[in-house]
Amino acid sequence: MQVEEIVHALRKVFPTASIEPGQSPLDEAFVALPANCILAAVKLLVERFDIYHLSTITGQDTGREIELLYHFWAGGGLTLRISLPREGAHLASVTGLIPGAAFYEREVREMLGVAFDGLADQRPFLLPDDWDGGHPLLAHRPEEVPE
Amino acid sequence: MTKMIIPIGPQHPLLKEPLSFQLTVTGERIVDSTLRIGYVYRGIERLAQERSYVQNLHLLERVCGICSHIHTTVYCQGVEALLELEVPPRGLYLRTLLCELERIHSHLLWMGVLAENVGFTTIFMYAWRDREIVLDIMEELSGGRVAHAVNIVGGVRIDLDEEHRDSILERLDLLRGKVEDLLGVVQHERSFRARTQGVGKMSLEQVRRHCVVGPVARAAGLDVDLRRDAPYAAYDRLAFRVVTAQDGDVWACTWVRMQEALESLRLCRQLLSELPEGPLAVKAARRVPAGEVVSRAEAPRGELLYYIRSDGSDRPARIKIRTPTLPVLSVLPEQLRGIHTADVPAVLSGVDLCIACADR
Amino acid sequence: MLERIVRWARRRSPWVLHFNSGGCNGCDIEILDLLTPRYDVERLGILKQASPRHADILLCTGPVTRQSRDRLRRIYEQMPAPNWVVAVGSCSCSGGIFHGGQSVLGGVDQILPVDLYLPGCPCRPEATIDGLVRLLEMT
Repeated sequence: MQVEEIVHALRKVFPTASIEPGQSPLDEAFVALPANCILAAVKLLVERFDIYHLSTITGQDTGREIELLYHFWAGGGLTLRISLPREGAHLASVTGLIPGAAFYEREVREMLGVAFDGLADQRPFLLPDDWDGGHPLLAHRPEEVPE
Repeated sequence: MTKMIIPIGPQHPLLKEPLSFQLTVTGERIVDSTLRIGYVYRGIERLAQERSYVQNLHLLERVCGICSHIHTTVYCQGVEALLELEVPPRGLYLRTLLCELERIHSHLLWMGVLAENVGFTTIFMYAWRDREIVLDIMEELSGGRVAHAVNIVGGVRIDLDEEHRDSILERLDLLRGKVEDLLGVVQHERSFRARTQGVGKMSLEQVRRHCVVGPVARAAGLDVDLRRDAPYAAYDRLAFRVVTAQDGDVWACTWVRMQEALESLRLCRQLLSELPEGPLAVKAARRVPAGEVVSRAEAPRGELLYYIRSDGSDRPARIKIRTPTLPVLSVLPEQLRGIHTADVPAVLSGVDLCIACADR
Repeated sequence: MLERIVRWARRRSPWVLHFNSGGCNGCDIEILDLLTPRYDVERLGILKQASPRHADILLCTGPVTRQSRDRLRRIYEQMPAPNWVVAVGSCSCSGGIFHGGQSVLGGVDQILPVDLYLPGCPCRPEATIDGLVRLLEMT
């Protein structure tokens, strides 16, 4: 299956990638990569495997760190997991390769405060023009931070 | 020639939902456009973290009123996967039946709205009158015309007996004749074809680069349908075809959606004729074991994705929703470039925007 | 005498403007349904208008979100007096299921004076017609 080939190729190109073992619910393949590899990984998907379909970028604050999940569809589900520090998080934008990623990066920027280097459009996306409530999806209260 | 900016929205007769466009025009041609969404932003992803999995069924059904059932379907699929539950076959068939009925109602709704916006009000009236048949069936099954609350974690909560089933089959046959008539009218009506053919063309390359999904992508030639490519609910037991077109214009979108509605009618017939006996649902625990899942389905507008992470409590730690209208909005400025101002209603209606879905 | 004619005209042909200030669309499609053959509110003289300046009744759906607040107010200010504001659906009555959301201000009465509340999620077309008829009978 194509997802297996891609996972194999990612493991060869990025030796520090960690392929999450085991059967994940609904057969999603999760691959964890260092943040500075995201652009190269997406380039691999686009150029070698002709995979453009980025369904979305999920951003979440796990309490310890900010995690970004790039959900791809390659005949099967493939998700790239990137971990970033909670303060001052930034990484490369993939909009040069996949223009459709712009909306998802803008949303993550708004909701979690992650900066995307090379993201052209810096206007508000979903939040109101007069928003003063900070980043809505950051865990603010101590009881929200899971163990 | 000087440039002029024409604002559309947030309140505009074309738009059913608030959305703001600024169209930059030179003469009668659009040279650029910018888009502002967020008028319907309700912070649902944040609200979902503060409610239990059961309460979220009610919240997530109201992300969008038109495709409410598919949202709870994708959500329940994800939570059931985390709980390692298997929904009984009868439950899956009934869940799929509502999915297909919803697809028919959504496409008929869209047909009416497109026709109204290009000036063909007769088709608006006929399409919405025929759509009432589907709404009546959904109301008899679930109690609600628009918000059904059919899905529960573990299955469905509705059932039907043989007499009811036969009555539904009869009405769906009646509806099939009406949809074929509708398609016949728009196909042979030269002024409608003139307003939609060649208007708002999109290439396969544009569709791929912007990750467009659904009937708009299929109208440009992208052969992707999650019901076939990643079967969920009861789709692995059903036979149906995926409709694609080549031109990517508003006429191609019309063709694809109407054919999909006819295909959905056939699917409903299959589902009702082959409805297995048995229980409707399995019992689900209130606390979901820690884990994460990515759940996908084919909503009337395309791929709907939910990412759910649970932390072992009775509330989700994170729910991320990606609705199919977002990538369509992403490619819309490119689609609008170079068209006549008078063609804007056709293009905006042709892509079937659901801003409530996009903004969440 | 003039007042009686004006009142007669208002009751016989109330023109509506619909604005969704942040709702899920459920109530919107039920309102659009009013124009279609099964419910056909044109027999009551009701027509859907494009511009606030032509409307007597503002049908609001959805909770008021922060981004739509100013636009909703501006639309109301453009409507000539006398006019009515009708909150259609639970969300525009009170914020509904989205009450408490960070960007949700609540029902329409947080911003505008509401003349008629029509609860329901969504509000059925029959209930909307009933509500509008009662509103007109009160004038």
